[in-house]
Amino acid sequence: MTEATSTIAPARADRLKAGLKGRYARERRFKLYGILAVSVAIGFLVLLLGRIIEQGHTAFYAHEVTLPVYMDPARIDASYPQGTNFELLVAEQELVRLGVTDDAEGTKANAMRSLFSSELKYRAADIIRARPHLIGHTVTIPAPTSDEADLYYKGEISIETPADQRRLSDEQIGWLDRMKADGAVRTHFNTALFTKGDSTEPELAGVLGALVGSALMLMVTAIIAIPIGIGAAVYLEEFSAKNRLTDLIEVNINNLAAVPSIVYGLLGVAVFINWAHLPRSSPIVGGLVLALMALPTIIIATRSSLKAVPPSIREAALAMGASRTQTVFQHVLPLAMPGVMTGSIISMAHALGETAPLLLIGMVSFVPGVPHSIAEPTGALPSLVYIWENASERAFHERTAAAILVLLTFMIVMNAAAIVLRRRFERRW
Amino acid sequence: MKFPYFRAPDGLDGGASDTALAPAPTTPAMRVPEVTSHGEPVGPTKIAVKNVSVFYGEKQALHEVSLDIPDKTVTAFIGPSGCGKSTFLRCMNRMNDTIQGCKVTGRIEMDGEDVNDRTVDPVLLRAQVGMVFQKPNPFPKTIYENVAYGPKIHGLTTNKSELDDIVHASLKRAGLWDEVADRLHSAGTGLSGGQQQRLVIARAIAVNPEVILMDEPCSALDPIATAKIEELIDELRERYCIVIVTHSMAQAARVSQRTAFFHMGRLIEHGPTEDIFTNPHERRTLDYITGRFG
Repeated sequence: MTEATSTIAPARADRLKAGLKGRYARERRFKLYGILAVSVAIGFLVLLLGRIIEQGHTAFYAHEVTLPVYMDPARIDASYPQGTNFELLVAEQELVRLGVTDDAEGTKANAMRSLFSSELKYRAADIIRARPHLIGHTVTIPAPTSDEADLYYKGEISIETPADQRRLSDEQIGWLDRMKADGAVRTHFNTALFTKGDSTEPELAGVLGALVGSALMLMVTAIIAIPIGIGAAVYLEEFSAKNRLTDLIEVNINNLAAVPSIVYGLLGVAVFINWAHLPRSSPIVGGLVLALMALPTIIIATRSSLKAVPPSIREAALAMGASRTQTVFQHVLPLAMPGVMTGSIISMAHALGETAPLLLIGMVSFVPGVPHSIAEPTGALPSLVYIWENASERAFHERTAAAILVLLTFMIVMNAAAIVLRRRFERRW
Repeated sequence: MKFPYFRAPDGLDGGASDTALAPAPTTPAMRVPEVTSHGEPVGPTKIAVKNVSVFYGEKQALHEVSLDIPDKTVTAFIGPSGCGKSTFLRCMNRMNDTIQGCKVTGRIEMDGEDVNDRTVDPVLLRAQVGMVFQKPNPFPKTIYENVAYGPKIHGLTTNKSELDDIVHASLKRAGLWDEVADRLHSAGTGLSGGQQQRLVIARAIAVNPEVILMDEPCSALDPIATAKIEELIDELRERYCIVIVTHSMAQAARVSQRTAFFHMGRLIEHGPTEDIFTNPHERRTLDYITGRFG
């Protein structure tokens, strides 16, 4: 090397060296920009996820108070247990246990009752229905706390807050503290969050309805958009003549990919609900609208991955006497499959998170319960997030974050499945 | 000297005609039996090309080519890049059909039947006319599947053992059997370049074609692999009509019995290989083979 440089004239060598320094500096700078950009991106991601997890992790557990309840034969109708006001029964007995005397209107009993979820009533009724012989005995019942009491136990409501700015009175907080001191309070995993549909009461609200709704909707979207999208792309790329008409179609497809999603929602209302009279708020309408939205993306991704298949493979197949259809379906499409899968998955992930079109087709309305078919009204995960975020109860806030986590997990699981599928399809050439 | 629009039927254009000694129009009776200057017998005419022109849109890529290609012979097409020799080759199995805006005029008769005739199905034609490309292009499948593909899609076999036999025979004839016998079910794309090219030849001969077209089959290969392919071509000549496009004049001289020289979309000269290389009639042929251009 030294020998080589010595043969170059000194001035020329210096100039080369000076230039070289600049070049390396530019390289280093560019590398630095890259690292910076990646760090910023990762930082934001961590911030976002951290915030959501920090806000949402408390929604995954809840509190219940184990209470001894005397199943008073005077107040329980064994033939119709669900008619009994168990909540009041429990509240009154609890007041007695705590040594509090109530006034004539039962104000304190009501205050005590509001510390427990209405779920208590169904639990007690279930016990009596299953074992009526327990009437007249004392039964220990795990009573789920109400959303406010739960928040207090989670430390989100503080006694230091002025009394008029919190929904628990000083007296109620005193009771809760005593229950806790008695060791009756237990933390448990919030199964309701995953086994129930939406509810007006936060402690009873779950994401299952929305999760199933989203899954059904996505199923409709995938069944419609993926085959049609791939079919259209294969036809346009491999079979159609290249002329003005196909140029026009191509331009339009590219434009459609950029149309705001709310416009698709309007289209969905006009066509699927008003004209085709499909049921409002149902996964079928949602799925159809999202399929329309996903189509251009799938077509564009499929076409570009078909274009990326080396022409030598096409020639090889054609020269072997394969027909055009055989060439496409036995050679070109299998090779393009990883790209096709990627495009489809990205558009499905988009569809899963899409909220705006759902606003218009009525999927942001309150729908309790879990749908059993694609024609039943239901919510969807993103719309559930929207509804819960706007709810007035504070307990919905942590559940909003939890719903976001569920949505993200759904997305990650879907993408992971897609990557596994992709690997399967991937072939070298 | 000549009207500008005059064009000799044998494909020689006006500009070349002053030095051209146009080959006498041949009739089948005159062609068989023909003997090359090597003394090797040349089969009867397999493909008779008459006044073939090719247009890509407005641009004419090939001008009125007329040529007889004999059976059981290697015919080499030589000429500088862009001279139309590959285009011409692709006319013979109608691969140009797949190119939009490509138009072929004239007649290409294979055993007396025009391949461009409406009644000729390109799929069936390609079962009779195999093709090997410049870049080895095995399917991204196993070696076995590569060779079995043609017989499968054309329904040439009825059971697995027949197919096994065809795969075995084709690989053997392509001189690849000994190298791949123990890994028939591994990927064809995992072979070396030369092996891939022989695999592709095995794939082409698996459907037992009558003609094999080779478009610069050795240009991506090293000299040893090239030597193997050339040896193979020489063996295959006994059974097939082979047409090879090559950039290497040494290769044309080594493997072919007949040579056709193309320039600027025109067939300048054709004849027995030895004549073309030792005693060309055309000035441009001489310039090309002596390396003065191209």
